[in-house]
Amino acid sequence: MCENCGCQSSEEIVKNSIYLPGVASLLKKQPMTPFDSFFEFALKDRPLGHLPGQFAEISIPGIGECPISISSPPSEEKTFQMVIRNVGSVTNAIHALKPGDSVGIRGPFGTSFPMNNLKDKNLLFITGGIGLVPARSAILYALEHRDDYKNIWILFGCKDPSQRLFTNELAKWEKREDITFHESVDRADGADWKGNVGVITTLFPKVQKEINPRDTYAIIVGPPVMYKFAIMGLHDMEFADDHIIVSLERRMKCGVGKCGHCQMDNIYVCQDGPVFYYDDIKHLKEAI
Amino acid sequence: MEILKISTNDFKSFIDKKIKESKTRTVGVVKKGAHYVFADLNSADELQLDYDVTILPPKKYFQPPKEILLKYVPKKVDSYTAVNRCDPITIIGIHYYDLAAIYLMDRAFSEGERDEHYMKKRENSLLIGIYPTKHFKDRFYRSVTRDQGLKVADIMLVQIGAYYVVEILTPKGKQYLEGAKLQKNDYSVKEIEEAKASIKDDQKIPIPVEMIPDYLARNHTHPAWAYFGEKCFSCGSCVLVCPTCYCFDVREEVELSLAEGQRVRTWDGCMLEDFATVADGHNFRSTRESRFRHRIFRKGKHLPEKYGYFGCVGCGRCADACTADIAGPVKVIKYMEEHK
Repeated sequence: MCENCGCQSSEEIVKNSIYLPGVASLLKKQPMTPFDSFFEFALKDRPLGHLPGQFAEISIPGIGECPISISSPPSEEKTFQMVIRNVGSVTNAIHALKPGDSVGIRGPFGTSFPMNNLKDKNLLFITGGIGLVPARSAILYALEHRDDYKNIWILFGCKDPSQRLFTNELAKWEKREDITFHESVDRADGADWKGNVGVITTLFPKVQKEINPRDTYAIIVGPPVMYKFAIMGLHDMEFADDHIIVSLERRMKCGVGKCGHCQMDNIYVCQDGPVFYYDDIKHLKEAI
Repeated sequence: MEILKISTNDFKSFIDKKIKESKTRTVGVVKKGAHYVFADLNSADELQLDYDVTILPPKKYFQPPKEILLKYVPKKVDSYTAVNRCDPITIIGIHYYDLAAIYLMDRAFSEGERDEHYMKKRENSLLIGIYPTKHFKDRFYRSVTRDQGLKVADIMLVQIGAYYVVEILTPKGKQYLEGAKLQKNDYSVKEIEEAKASIKDDQKIPIPVEMIPDYLARNHTHPAWAYFGEKCFSCGSCVLVCPTCYCFDVREEVELSLAEGQRVRTWDGCMLEDFATVADGHNFRSTRESRFRHRIFRKGKHLPEKYGYFGCVGCGRCADACTADIAGPVKVIKYMEEHK
């Protein structure tokens, strides 16, 4: 008997359920900040097959499911990487996993950074905090296909030095001569930090003179508060709205455009986003 | 479409026989205290086709308030199994506006990523609709629905005196009625149409429904949102009784033994405070004003633009259920018109 409504209905198995996760195993795990850890997974029966900027739903039976951005470029066919902040029950349980343990994965979901359309253009990445995580999939893609793109500028900002992610990679980017990398922290808080201090937009004057806004696409990924100020800064640099690409976060609970939690006006961010041209969504009242 | 008629008594005996002889689950409108609800029928005597409105729409049979999506052994990822309860069901006495709502639900769950949990239940259902025969103070369905209800009904009943005119809309409906004492219809089209429209709506949206999407777009900053938002208790009653609200939450339920668990989906609604809150605590719709506006925009602009039909079917349940007496779309649009 059905325990919900008391009917005599029997239970049948749904083979093609959009809510049924596949099995992935944890290959590698590494702490990055006091709250964020790096994870590398492999799906058991197929490659994830994602594009830069997409996300997946990760779950542990009995704990729950949550959306997490994919941080690796698609070239890593057999594995995929995520950086997960320990903020809730699911992420807490994921942080307790050991290599060899399994998680459920649904996805990949959502739109991706239009890397093909950006060929032969300059790229300006503006990333804040864990916004670096999804942006990294596009940054690494662009670096792997370096000849396809002209100048690449990467700006990264976070709250304080303890929250810097991928520090080894940041150091490499800093040294590379074929890209320009700048970073800043909002507060140095007495830490041994000799770099820039200030919000991300304080880095704009460092690159402004080098950038031709007509031939450059800006890609913004960061906390909700960052978008408005970053876009205002880009407008000052005379960027057109169709040269600004944003990846927006919402509560993407189901990933398949049904549950409604990620709606932004009429848009379901999980399917129509998370990556948008700013020009396409600037008229939406709930977007930025 | 085939049009026949049956006496109300013969219809009742036929349904009674169906309930007792058929293995298919039969539900219909029954009396519960001073109200009406859709419930399982043990005999046709319980069936009350002359009713004002049911507390909840028949949506609950296709998207139950709580339904199991997955079963598993906790922490064993390879034990995930997707499950569904979708035995055949016949629902008798669905008012036209609730059929219109089912049409919208079908679109939402079948388009894009197809939701088999919902669609299997729908495919295994037979819908017998009826045009309302009793007033309901908050109803305004005639000003907001068009032909969509007829796209999902298998059979429609129109009461004229001691007879039902029976409109058979699908082969499934025809098959169901095999053995019923159907007679040749001798009512004129005019008589039937008059009977369908005999109960006038008590409420009416003051502007034509096809103008509402643009009307709302022009009124995003109208003082109505702050006015109604200030009165709203964020109780969610309006979205929980709504026949076209299909947003849901997904939760885990684990047995105390820790040997079995299930991922369940439950009704959720955009009027509840934490609906748009993300992991770090940021709430993308933190004010009552923004939530109130979103609900009206969804019904009046977003859904019509996506599906070509108004997102509210005019059942009036939200207006009736609202603790603060503000939820009804008629009231909202009237206020906007009066405060231009």
